[in-house]
Amino acid sequence: MNSVGEGCTDLKREYDQCFNRWFAEKFLKGDRSGDPCTEMFKKYQHCVQKAIKEKDIPIDGVEFMGPNKDKP
Amino acid sequence: MKIWSTEHVFSYPWETVIKAAMRKYPNPMNPSVVGVDVLDRNLDPEGRLHSHRLLSTEWGLPGIVRAIMGTSHTRTYVKEHSIVDPEEKTMELCSTNITLTNLVSVDERLVYRPHPDNPDVTVLTQEAIITVKGVSLSSYLEGMMALRMSANARKGWDAIEWIIQNSERENVPLCDLY
Repeated sequence: MNSVGEGCTDLKREYDQCFNRWFAEKFLKGDRSGDPCTEMFKKYQHCVQKAIKEKDIPIDGVEFMGPNKDKP
Repeated sequence: MKIWSTEHVFSYPWETVIKAAMRKYPNPMNPSVVGVDVLDRNLDPEGRLHSHRLLSTEWGLPGIVRAIMGTSHTRTYVKEHSIVDPEEKTMELCSTNITLTNLVSVDERLVYRPHPDNPDVTVLTQEAIITVKGVSLSSYLEGMMALRMSANARKGWDAIEWIIQNSERENVPLCDLY
């Protein structure tokens, strides 16, 4: 699956793999030992936000506060 | 304004279904979804996982529809907010289009939870409110869109099943020598 920003697809795939593993093996099993994907997410986000601005996609009302807004 | 709702049962436990739902795209049943990005993801104080995603879709609308809608480009964007509660075993997903909003609003809500009578299977409740704006044929068009949504819902269920089955296949040993 591609990113909406063509240049972000590799970063997206790396992040998705990390997230899917954490989601299945930790989160759903009640393990709250923190998110190993933070750095990957930041890089990926930086790319996506640029692409969204360039393409003028109207995503008002979505806050870009990153993955660790509320640490458990 | 048209309200459409449906219910579907997956013969898999909740965890299996939502793992597939989180990885739904790409799949052969929804070729019009061409891009998916996570915009934000966080845990709330109750331990529920919130995800905000942006989906881009390429509809391939027929020329006549494009002419009526007065648009030459067919890329539309949808924003989606999902909440996974691993304690209560619910996954709720709300989505709405963020382009073509002056013409149409499609608000969808999906909830996945274990079947109340059988914890080994999962119920998906799906509903949509469709509003076509400023067009005198609006209730006719809304009816057409509701039919489209029924067809697409079916594809969506097939997509989840496809993702589950393709993941299961990876765990099957090539040679059974025991």
